[in-house]
Amino acid sequence: MILDFNVNGRDYSIEADARARLIDVLREDLGLTGTKEGCGEGECGACTVIIDGLAVNSCLVMAHQTRGKRILTVESLKQDGELDSLQKSFINNGAVQCGYCTPGMLMSCKALLMRNPNPTEHEIREAIEGNLCRCTGYVKIINAVKEVVKESKAPSEEDHHE
Amino acid sequence: MTNKLKYVGKSVPMHDVMDKVTGEIKYVGDMKLPNMLYAKLLLSDIAHGVIKSIDISKAQALKGVVKIYTYENTPSTSYNSHIWYDGLKAIEDEYLFSKQVRFYGDRIAAVAAEDKETAERAISLIKVEYEKLPHIISPLEAKENPEYRITSKEIKSGEPENIIQTAEIVVETALKTQKVHHAAMETHICLANKELDGTVTIWTPCQVAFQVQLVVCTALGLPKDKVRAIKAAMGGSFGGKGQPVLEPVCAYMAYDLGKPVKLYMDRTECIIATRTRTATIGNVSTAVDAEGNILARDIKMLVDAGAYMTNGEAVALAMGKKAFRLYKIQNQRYTAEVVYTNTPIGGACRGYGSPQIHALTEINIDAAARRLGMDPVKLRLKNLFQPYDKDSIGGPALGNARVIQCVEKGMEVFNWKEKRERPKAIGRYVRGVGMACATHGNGYYGAYQDYITMSLMMNEKGEIILNSGIHDLGCGTVTTMKQIVSEVFDIPLDKVTAVEGDTFKSPFDSAGTQASRVTFVCGACALKAAEQTRAKLVHYASRILGCAEEQVVLENGMIYASDQPDKKQAYGDMVTSIQKTLSEKVEVSCTYESPANPASYAVNFVEAEVDTMTGMVRILEVLAVHDIGKAINPGFVEGQIQGAIQMGIGFALSEEISVDSGGIVKETNLGKYHIVNAPDMPDVKVMLIEEGEEHGPYGAKSVGEVSTVAIAPAIINAISNAVDIDITALPATPERVLEAIKRKNIISEVRQ
Repeated sequence: MILDFNVNGRDYSIEADARARLIDVLREDLGLTGTKEGCGEGECGACTVIIDGLAVNSCLVMAHQTRGKRILTVESLKQDGELDSLQKSFINNGAVQCGYCTPGMLMSCKALLMRNPNPTEHEIREAIEGNLCRCTGYVKIINAVKEVVKESKAPSEEDHHE
Repeated sequence: MTNKLKYVGKSVPMHDVMDKVTGEIKYVGDMKLPNMLYAKLLLSDIAHGVIKSIDISKAQALKGVVKIYTYENTPSTSYNSHIWYDGLKAIEDEYLFSKQVRFYGDRIAAVAAEDKETAERAISLIKVEYEKLPHIISPLEAKENPEYRITSKEIKSGEPENIIQTAEIVVETALKTQKVHHAAMETHICLANKELDGTVTIWTPCQVAFQVQLVVCTALGLPKDKVRAIKAAMGGSFGGKGQPVLEPVCAYMAYDLGKPVKLYMDRTECIIATRTRTATIGNVSTAVDAEGNILARDIKMLVDAGAYMTNGEAVALAMGKKAFRLYKIQNQRYTAEVVYTNTPIGGACRGYGSPQIHALTEINIDAAARRLGMDPVKLRLKNLFQPYDKDSIGGPALGNARVIQCVEKGMEVFNWKEKRERPKAIGRYVRGVGMACATHGNGYYGAYQDYITMSLMMNEKGEIILNSGIHDLGCGTVTTMKQIVSEVFDIPLDKVTAVEGDTFKSPFDSAGTQASRVTFVCGACALKAAEQTRAKLVHYASRILGCAEEQVVLENGMIYASDQPDKKQAYGDMVTSIQKTLSEKVEVSCTYESPANPASYAVNFVEAEVDTMTGMVRILEVLAVHDIGKAINPGFVEGQIQGAIQMGIGFALSEEISVDSGGIVKETNLGKYHIVNAPDMPDVKVMLIEEGEEHGPYGAKSVGEVSTVAIAPAIINAISNAVDIDITALPATPERVLEAIKRKNIISEVRQ
């Protein structure tokens, strides 16, 4: 079956198995191996991608359900050689250890900031409740997101004062 | 340390973090070789029995199936996956595939196929007929059966039995600890290929590459020069990928087929059929006097190795030794009985027995304090070791043991007294505070061989390559080594490369990433190699510069004679001159044998809230204080501790692999096996006591394992403080907490 969709800003029209999951098409057919599989049943969040603005477990979505949709994977975050502010903040805050949950974690956080650029800590924790991490205890991940929020707020507050 | 440190003590980012945030890093699951086959295992669905027949005809007929492996067509050499060096003895009861089925999840067959779907389908088409045998899932029952009893151990100092018999106050505690899944986000996986010269190359996220080589050689009957193990990117281990589980099977298939084979597990397989934290049933009796001095202690542990021996005996001994390295107890006995059960296999798991024994003994210390009406902190402070006290059974020197300082500082910062004395709330939600102390080691000195060889070379560009068999498990080992080398040479980290384990290229390492040895032992070797290489550079440079060695200055990547500061040259130019003029290389290979095994300490303070209606426990605050010697990278240290607390909360409250009466595992996925997620994770405050340890590089000692030990008893003690109940089994699930509250209420009603 032909699948037409947009991944990381690029239109694709590919032949994909009717039974293929989105994660398989991304990893096997498009070679986007940044998206990880940790459980295959939507419990760990390692496979999180963004579909039309929403964070979704790509292991629970059939590839053909994404026809005509816009998908973002971790590979989309770096633009023109420049890391996304979330990636930078994950690095600066030591939010990455083994790195296996990191792509999914980043995409859940990205989806959160896309719909809510000013989340509270509670909202940050809720946004990643489906993303399990065994290395960090989430503490530095939450700090990293908080820092992005704070930094993106800073200039607008300055504007306000002006 | 008089000199100001420039690279050590700084929270620099991990060496491969850029590849990790972009998703570019290649784990084994992301690797593909030409003509690669995919392999899956068939696991037993009964707990105990013998295979009567295996019908592979339907699976074999499936298009794309290359070969099916069972006990009938594979080597039947026994091995023990726990053996990490030649000469280490342990019961060898594992096989690639066995006719005997010993637990739900035992390996029955493997299929190699051209694609994943075919491999998975073929597995479902294999028909196995078993003759079922009676199974034992309870260690208590196993203890009574000679076929299940493996060994017993005793460690003793003084005459505890007599003292306990005659003492006025003896406090007894019983605690059952559960099997735990490591829950690394990357499930077990392995890739192997047969090279043209007959060598089998194995890429695996492992902790001990030389152990992978040794175990594969034993199981396959191959010489070591035909098996090459390469440490691949690690998606989390925590001990779970310590013992080679998939590697022997995967290597055999690649060897047999002459093709690359990738063997992978899903989450369910990973939970039931890899390794687990060893379950225990513990009893402790502690005699104390009215002032809170511990007079004697008797600890009995029943250790459930699970279906195969692996490290059952080693972990029983390791946990026992810890009991002698926290409190000054002259009269103490530790006895352990190790048994098999028809349940998932025990193995290494962060802390290696420490979390189990400390949970028992630290809950008991609080019980003793309750009995005496004493603040549990006060009781501990009376009995904890002082710096340079002696291990009471003649074990390795404790070194600069700063546990008392951890307790005192932590108490202050946590505001212990005020929180402890605060009146308890009356109503549904009741808060309590608890604390616990813990100790762990720094390597194998005193128990097993512990040395590593490293080679270090400076090239013509002034760059350094540190070659050794290290394994970065995501904890920052590579960066830690780089920081040490950078400090010695005064060059930026990006000028230093530290490569990881490859049994064909790395100098030998005796033990790998286990036993909290890496920073303390391997880091000390990196320091030694760097210092020796630096001395060599200085020596040759003095000849080139025509000055005394003492006059050679190394500063920020530049080298010069102290009386000619205007004639500075880059390290690389000097190396080029040395090579050209003296025909010498600035290179060293050195072996470092650890001379010590001091104790690391952790003290955790916890505030918890118990919902007396549901039994749910919420952790509100955690303070972790660590006697770390010196943090080479404080950011990594904090990361280790925060992650370890997450694991420890699960051990205390929610994580358990259990089996039903038929021996079938109940928690077969992450929906049923509950690890702490972000909303339930408290903020973890970390406090480091950095007083330096003699033999650690720049004074450093371990943190990776000790950090997960004190949290569970601290939580249980906080629950007891809140609602005055005894928890006798971990995890303290809502059901268990509620049951204990009901029991207490019935008892108090009867008394009224």
